[in-house]
Amino acid sequence: MTTIAPANPLEMLAYNIALEIHDGQIVYVGTGLPMVGAILAKKTHAKHITMVYESGGQDPLEGEMPWSVGCPFTFRKAPMSMEMAISFGQSALGYVDIAFQGGAQIDMYGNVNTSVIGSYENLKSILPGSGGGNDIGSLTESSVLVGLQTPDRFPERVDFITTPGFLEGGDSREKSGLLGGPTAVVTQVGVYDFDPVSKRMRIKALNPGMTVEIAQACTGFELLLPEGEIPFVEAPTDEILTILREVVDPRGVFTKMPGM
Amino acid sequence: MSYRYATEEQMNRLVDYRGAREFHLRKDRSKKDKRMSLNEAIAEYVQDGDILAETGFSYVRSPIQAYFEIIRQKKKDMIGIGSPMSNCSYLMAFDCVKAIHLSYIGVEMRGNDKNFARMIKTQQAELLSLWSHGSMALGFKAAQLGAPFIASKQLIGTDMIKKNPYVKVMDNPVSADSSPVAIIPALYPDVCIIHAQMADRYGNAVIKGPAINDIALSAACRKVIITAEKIVPEMALREDSIASIPFMYVDAVVELPYGAMPGSCPGHYYWHREWWEWLVRIATPSVENIEDFFEYWVFSSKDQFDFLEKLGGVRFLNKVERQMAAAEAKIDDSLVSFDYKEVIPKWD
Repeated sequence: MTTIAPANPLEMLAYNIALEIHDGQIVYVGTGLPMVGAILAKKTHAKHITMVYESGGQDPLEGEMPWSVGCPFTFRKAPMSMEMAISFGQSALGYVDIAFQGGAQIDMYGNVNTSVIGSYENLKSILPGSGGGNDIGSLTESSVLVGLQTPDRFPERVDFITTPGFLEGGDSREKSGLLGGPTAVVTQVGVYDFDPVSKRMRIKALNPGMTVEIAQACTGFELLLPEGEIPFVEAPTDEILTILREVVDPRGVFTKMPGM
Repeated sequence: MSYRYATEEQMNRLVDYRGAREFHLRKDRSKKDKRMSLNEAIAEYVQDGDILAETGFSYVRSPIQAYFEIIRQKKKDMIGIGSPMSNCSYLMAFDCVKAIHLSYIGVEMRGNDKNFARMIKTQQAELLSLWSHGSMALGFKAAQLGAPFIASKQLIGTDMIKKNPYVKVMDNPVSADSSPVAIIPALYPDVCIIHAQMADRYGNAVIKGPAINDIALSAACRKVIITAEKIVPEMALREDSIASIPFMYVDAVVELPYGAMPGSCPGHYYWHREWWEWLVRIATPSVENIEDFFEYWVFSSKDQFDFLEKLGGVRFLNKVERQMAAAEAKIDDSLVSFDYKEVIPKWD
């Protein structure tokens, strides 16, 4: 038996995304790693998921990895495409189970910033804007935040709330009138959830080889710890890694480490 | 609130439902041949100071060749809106658009658009209001429905809403739990250009693939230009009642094959991915680069055929036609390659 290289951090992140998806779910998919994770889930433990896209594509036939959420592979032989207003309506109506969201900053309450670093009055850098991120995070039953974890990218408070998480924590999201909310954060370090009362980010499981100290060093605020021993995410099997490398992202567009 | 590049009248016009209705009431009703050249359509129906709505999905069935004509005609002082609205970036670089109602400007995974950032940072262009894709889409949809506003659950709790003078959050007045809602007003831009796969000479138009906001925008906008891959006999649309946009909304019809290039057009051609990486990664980082880039691609191309020649002419066209047909599973795709060389500038 030949052994294959263990998962690199990006592959591990894609695998963590995949594990958040359960068979039979309807998944709102964006470009990049969430797409890799969703396709990996579909090829492994969640064969019966249905993918829907922001540009309106519904349940496309499988094909090449889409280059954009408007790529023809997001509506390849789709039975229909929905107009944009209606496609987000699916989330509000309760027809979408899970969605993924990345951002330049994610804070301790799961608020996400894709608008501006600094402020519009005192710009450090300007980002593309919400796109569909705010809609997905405001309306979808469960949104999973995806990020490469560093103290800058995981500050105590985001510079600007583009997509609401638990806002100020506690019951502030519930009171605000928003639907659903963030249920998990996945990074190259591990998987996080939110404390049920304070709504602060809490370690749920660490990726193989990671420690609480590493997780904390990659974070700009104090992470909460679960009660008892912290579990590890099981490393992906050789079979899963082979599917990821040979079938899902064969060119390594999203999962090859830069410079390697 | 005062703005550097927008008047109070322009700000109000976007949500003026009576004004939009009055404008529509005064439009020529006659079912007449509305065909004209792209040059004539832009000259007549896109005016300085207009609120221009982007259509398509940035690089999917977007009327990009018409935007290039707007640049060549040096339209100015317009206000951009759309979800998404990535083409507004270069319209800002050439002073056609001076202010925007922002949902999203960028090319997803290709990197941040540094021209957009520079225009805002140096105050050569201005953000008037902030939106998500879906909330802005609901504003256009409300207009199409003839509703003054739609109540929704987007934008609530964000910092965007503090920079949006149009959307109000209030307790739900009709439900028992009174859980807050965002009141999104109907949005009425002045003009949009919609690239359709087919249209007849009167303006009845067919959109295939994702319509995004275009059906709503055709109703919401005061003026509508259709550019179409093909002009077909009216009977071709009557046959199975397939039009997405009715002729009475439409002011001008332009036969414009390849009008969405270098973006894609479902049913016709795939996009030129490198072009978008050249734009974002090489052209947008400096004023000089973006000027050179547009000098080559736009100012020294008189029409879409010149542009197509620069992309590689017939060989390129055949490649992207095959790619789209393969992507749509209309031809045997086993020998159709989607490989491409990612553009990574040496200075990165």
